[in-house]
Amino acid sequence: MASCTYTVPDKAASGDNFYGVVICNQVYVDYFWNTYGFSGNKAYWDDGWGWDDCCNTSKPLARAFNGCYALTYSASDYLNDSYSAPILNWGRRYVRENIDDLRCFCGDGTAIARSKSGGLVEVYLGFFYSKDVPGRAETLIHESRHQGGKPHDANFPSGSVFGSGKSGADSSWDYEGAWMYGALYLWWYYAEGARTTSALRERARQRGNLVIDNAFATHPGFSI
Amino acid sequence: MLRSKSTDTPFLAGPDTLEIQQEEHPFSFRSSKDEKLNASVVEAVNRMGGVGEDAEENYRRALSSLRNRGPGVLDVIAAEYEDLPEDSYLDRWSLVQLLVELRYPEAVKPLSRIIAARIPAEKFRKSHDMSTVAEEVMIRTTAVEGLVRLSADGVAEAQEALLRHAGHRTFSIRRACVQGLMQTGTDDNKRKLRRLLKERKEEGLLKIKQVNVRSVPQPIGGRFVVPPQVKSEAPPPDLGATKE
Repeated sequence: MASCTYTVPDKAASGDNFYGVVICNQVYVDYFWNTYGFSGNKAYWDDGWGWDDCCNTSKPLARAFNGCYALTYSASDYLNDSYSAPILNWGRRYVRENIDDLRCFCGDGTAIARSKSGGLVEVYLGFFYSKDVPGRAETLIHESRHQGGKPHDANFPSGSVFGSGKSGADSSWDYEGAWMYGALYLWWYYAEGARTTSALRERARQRGNLVIDNAFATHPGFSI
Repeated sequence: MLRSKSTDTPFLAGPDTLEIQQEEHPFSFRSSKDEKLNASVVEAVNRMGGVGEDAEENYRRALSSLRNRGPGVLDVIAAEYEDLPEDSYLDRWSLVQLLVELRYPEAVKPLSRIIAARIPAEKFRKSHDMSTVAEEVMIRTTAVEGLVRLSADGVAEAQEALLRHAGHRTFSIRRACVQGLMQTGTDDNKRKLRRLLKERKEEGLLKIKQVNVRSVPQPIGGRFVVPPQVKSEAPPPDLGATKE
């Protein structure tokens, strides 16, 4: 057991101020809790993490719900989650089908999230407080892809912001790994994200390009 | 068909606990005593993170109100950027995004200064998904986007700055400058850029194209196809907050 403290940063640009108002509805709380792996994990989301205060966007649970809202509703035709539609549509389905348990921990400051065996995904403080709302949706998709059977299979390229030569990259776009899923989700969010602002979409574009430029051993040769 | 779920088994040892501390907003406005202007900056940053059918409209309205204050607002935003702690990455990014959106030619200088600023060493060396250098680079590529927009408006200084930063030591910043100048620059500036890239043996940057998301390879399917009868539909997105 670890104890951690955190000074909550500004909730404006991250999207938490506004998403927070929307998710404060029992219908959404129930849906997210039962759909995205929270169910059965109350003990982890208690004790300061927001279980008893799930509308408070200073706390992790509400911020996770904000990410879930973006994941669920950012396609204008969100009810179509067919795998033949863009990942903006089926990202929520992929997360739903691959994350059985979503648990929060303080973490040691070296990761945003980690994928464990058996459908378990752990999220750490950085997930809630350094990622913007669509960025949290991207992280859930990234970790779901690991659950879907794709580990990272290469080292980061020379000059990568993630550390030249370190493990944790994907070999190529065609490998269809976690970085590709995350970047593609951000790309679609930038191109067609609904119920959001051009600023958050631009943020998604910048993050998507950063991933494309730095997280593949072989650069895909295109950008957003 | 039910998915296997863990139960709410009580813990023998406790889970992690968290205590949070809050602050109102991150800005100090030490250089600006104009409270209305300061409030407009905060409002515009707030509206960036909007959600809902009217999110963009509200954001545009806030930007418009800020733009009405004239280019003097750039100094206030740039001063706030400099005053923020280094690790307030998202807040710093939001101010750069404001500089970009206001689209004043006078923004070339602060944007260029932000791009040229030294990127501090990585603070999370052991991580593969957390990177303070990545956050710094996103701030700078957003500033490049500001120069690109001004270049498209015909601001010569923006094109000169893009040309200068095309030699930046960070790949993503070079790539963004090259793409931006090739799309918006004059023929003369494009010629200079090609010469620079040839000298640096970086002509490969010209081959990286900005494309439509529909034209890139998409993932093939998922692992499962959930039968419709067991699929739980999401509620509509606009229910509003629960009344206490």
